[in-house]
Amino acid sequence: MKINYFHIIIILVSIFGLLGFTSWFFTTPIYFDVPKGFPKPVYDFKSNQVTEEGFQLGRNLFYDPILSKDNTISCASCHLQQTGFTHVDHELSHGIDGKIGTRNSLTLQNLAWNKNFMWDGGVNHLDVQALAPITSEVEMNETLENVVAKLQKSEKYNLLFLKAFNTNKISGQLTLKAISQFVIMLKTTNSKYDKVIRQEEVFTEMEQKGYKLFRQNCASCHKEPLLTNNSFENNGLPIDETLNDFGRMKITQNPNDSLKFKVPTLRNVQFTFPYMHDGRFKTLNEVVNHYSLNIKKSKTLSNKLKKPLAFNDNQRTELVSFLKTLTDNDFLFNTRFSYPKENN
Amino acid sequence: MPNKNLFFLLILFQISVFGQQISDSLTLHLNINFAGKPLNVSEKYISNNQDTLSIDVVKFYLSSFEIIYNDNSKYTEKNSFHLIDINKPESLNIKLLNQKNNIKSLKFSIGIDSLNNVSGAQSGDLDLQNGMYWAWQSGYINMKIEGKSKSCKSQKNKFQLHIGGYQEPNFALRKIELNSKNNGVNNLKLNINLAKFFSKIYLNETNSVMIPGQKAMKIADLFSEIFELE
Repeated sequence: MKINYFHIIIILVSIFGLLGFTSWFFTTPIYFDVPKGFPKPVYDFKSNQVTEEGFQLGRNLFYDPILSKDNTISCASCHLQQTGFTHVDHELSHGIDGKIGTRNSLTLQNLAWNKNFMWDGGVNHLDVQALAPITSEVEMNETLENVVAKLQKSEKYNLLFLKAFNTNKISGQLTLKAISQFVIMLKTTNSKYDKVIRQEEVFTEMEQKGYKLFRQNCASCHKEPLLTNNSFENNGLPIDETLNDFGRMKITQNPNDSLKFKVPTLRNVQFTFPYMHDGRFKTLNEVVNHYSLNIKKSKTLSNKLKKPLAFNDNQRTELVSFLKTLTDNDFLFNTRFSYPKENN
Repeated sequence: MPNKNLFFLLILFQISVFGQQISDSLTLHLNINFAGKPLNVSEKYISNNQDTLSIDVVKFYLSSFEIIYNDNSKYTEKNSFHLIDINKPESLNIKLLNQKNNIKSLKFSIGIDSLNNVSGAQSGDLDLQNGMYWAWQSGYINMKIEGKSKSCKSQKNKFQLHIGGYQEPNFALRKIELNSKNNGVNNLKLNINLAKFFSKIYLNETNSVMIPGQKAMKIADLFSEIFELE
């Protein structure tokens, strides 16, 4: 019988074709677990399905100074894991050529529940957030277009993008989505406070007193369990006349938003110093003192602060001792979130 | 030899598919000009207001294309987002799928709709790497015109108009409908006359608009008035 080469070719081509579309591309989905008592995440996971490969790509990008113009600044330069992914010790965060910005970098924690980003809420989606530091003249001073061009030349990233997105074409979209896949997983839900809520541990007497004070005086803005209500408030800080930062008003152009800034989460607050949008307070004691003694009255001052929170010395200590229960060492030292080394 | 016949059929099939595409596509040629003369980047022009100016950047989004036919039926382009860039000649020809010959009018928007402004990182012409997105206050830049003029008392006499805004009352998208004067062909010419635009802008007063707001709304209006279908 004569062998019909044509049929054999057709069959082989079909098999390879099928393999190409299915078996050759595997990713490992990561399920974003919402702890009991936490609200529904804001982030739309359907538009950016998190996978192990995407997470690892994002992690590599996060720790890589390739994102900056002169390859000196990475996301981690101002967002260090052990301090809740913020810039410890620097009142105002500094970027390329040692240039200094106008605000203290925010923490990166539980971002899946954030409606908007930045101290003034100017960024409306996690996926577009990274564009701000990348293009800022005092941070990375780069363009996304050029970042993509650099990544396209990198063998390492060609492989990582291929693994994560099954494509040879690195784009701005995929770069940003990969960064999102890493930072969206920076979830801190295992502090002593969480364990107490889950009835796995108990507060000390002092922490318990502090918790009671916290619920009476602070929790309307620093709402549990995220320890923020995601709103913008004027918390009575006198304006720094060298910065003249009016916060949210710059975005909305509404005078009612003058001096309002994002209510930050207090998770890991023990390590996220310095505090406030301009990093003016170095210690939690200074923060508590501010709310007790130094609220500056103005038109837009938060309703909740019209009556000063008159904590006495004991109460201040109790409050600070509660705030320290918000420290989550499993998060701060999770090796999956740290500088990427092989095999972890 | 059955395989020879099959290859022949395959080629025939390819030709027919290719041929179909040609007859069904309509090319919209964008003619960005200054009072009728094709716009050349960095060349000097004089506006009706006697501003001497040169233009380096003209970039804008056209979106949501619809072709309306004489019988009032219409073709709506899906995922219709086109970034036009004077410095990228290939962006000046937009291919649309045409179903019939008797085109009555062409409808489209200048800019990006609100939903796409809040939907995170997108691909293709909407990719943020195209430099048409604000970093510190999220949102697409619908239109960018940059250049130089001695009338501008700004750094290096530059003018920079970055127009956008997706939230009311500063929603800067503009929808326009233009009647077709010549409806039996596969080519349509869209004239965009920047002389008309600069005749209504005094560069000594307006040379830097970089945020959404009332000024941006006014410039968006002016820009939408300079489109004409030939």
